Amino acid sequence: MSGGPVEVVPPGYRVGDWEVTEPIGAGGWGTVYAARYVGPPRAAGDGDGPPKPGPEPAPEPGREPGRSAEPGGAGPVPDVADLAEVALKFLPTAGLAPRQARGLVETARRETELGRRARHPRLIRLLDSLTLSEPANPVLDGAVVLVMERARHSLRERLHIPSAQGPAAPAPSGERTSDPPAEAEGARLLTEICEGLAHLHALGWVHGDLKPDNVLIMADGSVRLSDFGLAVELNGTHGYIPPLGTPDYLPPERWRAPLGERGVQVRPSTDIWALGIMIHQVFTGGVSPFPGATPMARGAAAQEYAEGRAPLRMDLRVPPFWRDLAADCLTPAQEERAVHTAAGLLARIRAAREREQQRPAVTARAPVPAHAPGAAWWQGRAALLGVTVTTVVCGAAAAAAVALLGGEDRSPRSGAGATAGMGTAAGGERTARIEVFNAEEPCRQAGNRDKLCSLGLAIDPVKPYTLDNVVTTRVWHGDTLVADCQVPQGVPIADEAGERSTQWFRVRLPAGEGRGTAWLPAVRAKDRPALPECAGRPSPA
Amino acid sequence: MSGVLIHLPPGEGTGPATGREAGAMAPGPVTLRLGAGGVARFGRGSASTPVELRLADPAVSRLAGEIRVTDDHWQLSNLSSGQTYLVENPEGAGEYFRVPPRRAGAPIPFEFARVVLPTRGSAVSFQVFAPDHVYMDPDGMDGWGTRTLTAFSLDETATYFLVLVALCEPRLRDESAVAVATTPQIVDRLRSHPECGRLTARAVSSHIDYLAEEKLRISAPATADPRQGARRNGKREAVVGLALRFGLVREEHLALLPPRAPAPHRVEVAGR
Repeated sequence: MSGGPVEVVPPGYRVGDWEVTEPIGAGGWGTVYAARYVGPPRAAGDGDGPPKPGPEPAPEPGREPGRSAEPGGAGPVPDVADLAEVALKFLPTAGLAPRQARGLVETARRETELGRRARHPRLIRLLDSLTLSEPANPVLDGAVVLVMERARHSLRERLHIPSAQGPAAPAPSGERTSDPPAEAEGARLLTEICEGLAHLHALGWVHGDLKPDNVLIMADGSVRLSDFGLAVELNGTHGYIPPLGTPDYLPPERWRAPLGERGVQVRPSTDIWALGIMIHQVFTGGVSPFPGATPMARGAAAQEYAEGRAPLRMDLRVPPFWRDLAADCLTPAQEERAVHTAAGLLARIRAAREREQQRPAVTARAPVPAHAPGAAWWQGRAALLGVTVTTVVCGAAAAAAVALLGGEDRSPRSGAGATAGMGTAAGGERTARIEVFNAEEPCRQAGNRDKLCSLGLAIDPVKPYTLDNVVTTRVWHGDTLVADCQVPQGVPIADEAGERSTQWFRVRLPAGEGRGTAWLPAVRAKDRPALPECAGRPSPA
Repeated sequence: MSGVLIHLPPGEGTGPATGREAGAMAPGPVTLRLGAGGVARFGRGSASTPVELRLADPAVSRLAGEIRVTDDHWQLSNLSSGQTYLVENPEGAGEYFRVPPRRAGAPIPFEFARVVLPTRGSAVSFQVFAPDHVYMDPDGMDGWGTRTLTAFSLDETATYFLVLVALCEPRLRDESAVAVATTPQIVDRLRSHPECGRLTARAVSSHIDYLAEEKLRISAPATADPRQGARRNGKREAVVGLALRFGLVREEHLALLPPRAPAPHRVEVAGR
């Protein structure tokens, strides 16, 4: 039992009416194989309709239907579409001491029990389960096989998080999408995860090992929660599971949790913490909100955060709504986190979506070019998928840029009395005056032209806001700039007070800069004039 | 990540009370628990340089060093200008390393460590335990990034693990469904093991306490029985029950124990 899972099931092996085609991967307990239906053909209507509810008994772990198990005879009746391809999870009991075998049977029992009772479009469907009787093959004899829906890939694969098995894990060939999920897709995935979790919790169950590996994405893109080997039905406020877990997704209380006779305590808030980690991961390509190179380092960072010694620093790529949601999921104290139930979070997500859907009707807009990104998160923002790096220009960089500039005369300061109002430039376009705002209070003193207080203007608002993407002109608090249009979805920028925005204004530069315009992040102003969106992809003018 | 535990044996922290730690005035043992990212300074201390761990020897600097919890281990900073500290692994075969003066943040890889500070007479020392060290599951050694792991991992080469296996042996061999070895029995059982020849009954008890409180964090049912013996047995039974139930000790671990000297199971043991 060392050196990884043993591939014991050859292609062509038959389990019930299914024939193994290829291995998919190895989980914490067993190995999963793809399989196809080779049983007697069925009429199209056979087994269709609503799944039979209720008392169909899943096979008891001790039962031995062997390889002659009748299709659907004991388990739920699969519909025709499910029969084409399924996933078989083998939980081998051979080679294990009797006590461990008992543990595996327990795992299988949890999975079948939940699969039988918790039918939901967001939970992976358990089609059947059987115990192999293979006296001639001691490795397979007694193995429990769970027959489940076949997914396209897991959320972990979707986010390109390196697998635990490293390169040894076979990647689903040709199925990988190369881009991380866009905001719209991420929001949809998370909404569906939340739906599954809300259903599970409403039934009084806790998943216990929620992580991207256990969130499966089907061929149609929909989400299924899977791997209920640690799922447990609550008895009152909590249940007990064996002392197992995935370090990156354990809530802070678990690191100090005592081991009792029945295992460690889990609560719905255990899953909520894991959901908070996943929200962050979905929008950041798999990066945990807690810093560190190893799961242990990240676990320690989560502990420090929970003990109040480190703030929660989330990536700016996580949209504000989801950042708030993740922050609530990551409430340090278990008792306070319990306020945020899966159902409550789901309601917030739906309410936010409704608000967003109503917003475009309220805001009158100038005609938007067809390729320009939509404002609402579910509408897609295909134009900006490439934007991943967020950099807030730091004081040192700003100072360096100013040193090169060597003077203040070139700043586009307008005359006194200029106000942020709408105007019309010579060409007849609409323009607006925008007053620069500096979030750092000492920099707001009248006449402060300290180099450290200067602010930058970008050359391109959809490229990372770094030193080679700023014009030489610097601006200071109180400067008034003339803006002629805006982009709502540029690189997200946060100011020193934590204010964040993806909006940028195109502002005129004084003569002599070498270019006509540059871009001011909206967080550097309090004005929000209703300017039209800039036509075309903003490019270095 | 529950952090590290610092233990100052009785006598090492005694002396005139100049630090702010009232507890250090008592000539008893001092135990400090540091959480993730926690820091404790040690030294002779004074009104102006308070320390969390006071070492009263005059040869020790007022502010002699700092312990900082990092991930699952800890770092030692030597804040003295001229003294080299020694960090020993009491369970290793004489494993130790030196932390030279002004060394900042030397990472300490031992789960058990004894920090030794030189003095004119006998050295001053204290112990630091890092119970969070993680061991991969036997079937998961190809990686641990997103794997589901046993949350309570044990070092199978440590003395405490030998003690645990010895505790579990009667049940693993199905000699008794209820029997748990007593401390003298364990001392006796491990005597012929090359590393446990000098294991004392007190050491065995500390190992069991460490297992129960730091490694497994057992939530023992509160026993109202004031008798020490009964309480200890309850703890032992809980340790054995949990270790077996959750597969932390398995049949294969019996091979770690020395062959049994008395006759009854001689053949079975020899066959391993």
